[in-house]
Amino acid sequence: MEQNQSSHPETYTEELNEISGRIIDADILINPGTEIEKTDSVSKSGNQRIYLIYLFLPCVFLTVALLGGLRLSPVDNSFIFLKPPLFCLIFAVIMLVLFLRAGLMRLDGWFSEDFPLIKNLANAAVLLTLFAATTQLFNSLLPEQGLPFWIVAFCFFWTLWNNLFAYFDTKKLLRSLGALFGLAFVAKYLILANLTAPESEGWFRGVIENPTKEAFTWLLDLPGFSAGTGYIQFFAAVFYLAGLYLLPQTTKIESPAASIHPKD
Amino acid sequence: MKEKYIQILSILLTAFYGFFVIFLYWAEPKSVEEVSIKAQSTVENAVTKGQVFAGTYEIDQTKYNEALSAFRRDNFVAARDGFDKADPEKRDSNTQFYIAYSFYRQGWGRFSNDDALFKQGLDALDRVVLLNRNFNSADPSLQLKTPAVLRNELEEGLKITSDDFNPFKAFRDRK
Repeated sequence: MEQNQSSHPETYTEELNEISGRIIDADILINPGTEIEKTDSVSKSGNQRIYLIYLFLPCVFLTVALLGGLRLSPVDNSFIFLKPPLFCLIFAVIMLVLFLRAGLMRLDGWFSEDFPLIKNLANAAVLLTLFAATTQLFNSLLPEQGLPFWIVAFCFFWTLWNNLFAYFDTKKLLRSLGALFGLAFVAKYLILANLTAPESEGWFRGVIENPTKEAFTWLLDLPGFSAGTGYIQFFAAVFYLAGLYLLPQTTKIESPAASIHPKD
Repeated sequence: MKEKYIQILSILLTAFYGFFVIFLYWAEPKSVEEVSIKAQSTVENAVTKGQVFAGTYEIDQTKYNEALSAFRRDNFVAARDGFDKADPEKRDSNTQFYIAYSFYRQGWGRFSNDDALFKQGLDALDRVVLLNRNFNSADPSLQLKTPAVLRNELEEGLKITSDDFNPFKAFRDRK
């Protein structure tokens, strides 16, 4: 037998495959539900993917778009909705190009002549929400005015411009974006927010009580917001990164391999 | 659920949620309570604009009547406020003529006129002419019945002439 195995290894493998195939067929004959269960699990995962792409992701991205420009007034915690500056739109466009270049999503996987019109429209709507969320995330992370705005905007531009011409895979891109947004968040909501003088009854009293903070606020033209703003923006950034992680490369569901995202 | 239906639902959801986000950034409510107030005023505004577009726009007759009675009581500020509410789109020549007239009557003085109010009156008259070039008021209590006559009165009131120093001018009447 051993001699037979060593002299005809291919024949032996074929025999093994045949035997295992018979066993599987026998199993199906004994338990007819097995094949149906397999088909069901495939269709369930396909359905889940459709729900994820067309319902969950737009909700996540639009929530980021809603929260990204929201600030809370330091006086009475009332809402302040800040519209995104033009820079944010430019950054968002660069980011979308970056996503395509790094393979985070494939254009032919989202728009195709083979797709029905409704699918192309739904995909466009999802990508529109992604664009809105990206714009608003930059709106969230950029300081509102003054010198810090220009410095951070320049840093963003420099980084994104370099990234455009660098080799990226999706994993590296997501890590890089996480680091970039994390640093910007810390710079704005921890460092600059702590340099901002609190609301005081008068300018003179403010100078006496917090001379350094008053000086920084005046020099850097820092706007004051309630502490709750940082919490809101933290969740906006987390939702955005989670949405990016869940964003599939393609919306084609015929080939199961295409649905596996190379982010892992 | 079929993929097609989920995609249609997705488009609707995105449109609805997207409009809500745009509305929030446009209306800039200061609190959650203010969201509903702003939404109501936006819907009313949109309905009025839609009526103008469809050609079915009409002034609010109740508010118009209240404003008219305030005008006749010489309460011109309240009258203008009422006329503005009755004709929010400024599409009714009659209402706009009353607004212009209220500026004239409020700004008129026996010795000197209020130039700022007269200028606002001229602006309101411009709207009347744009809406109806041949406008003629049917109100018998108004002595100046056409935009041209009222414009002349307002423009004369804005000018400084030798006639302004005529002491008998103090005995003239408001029209």
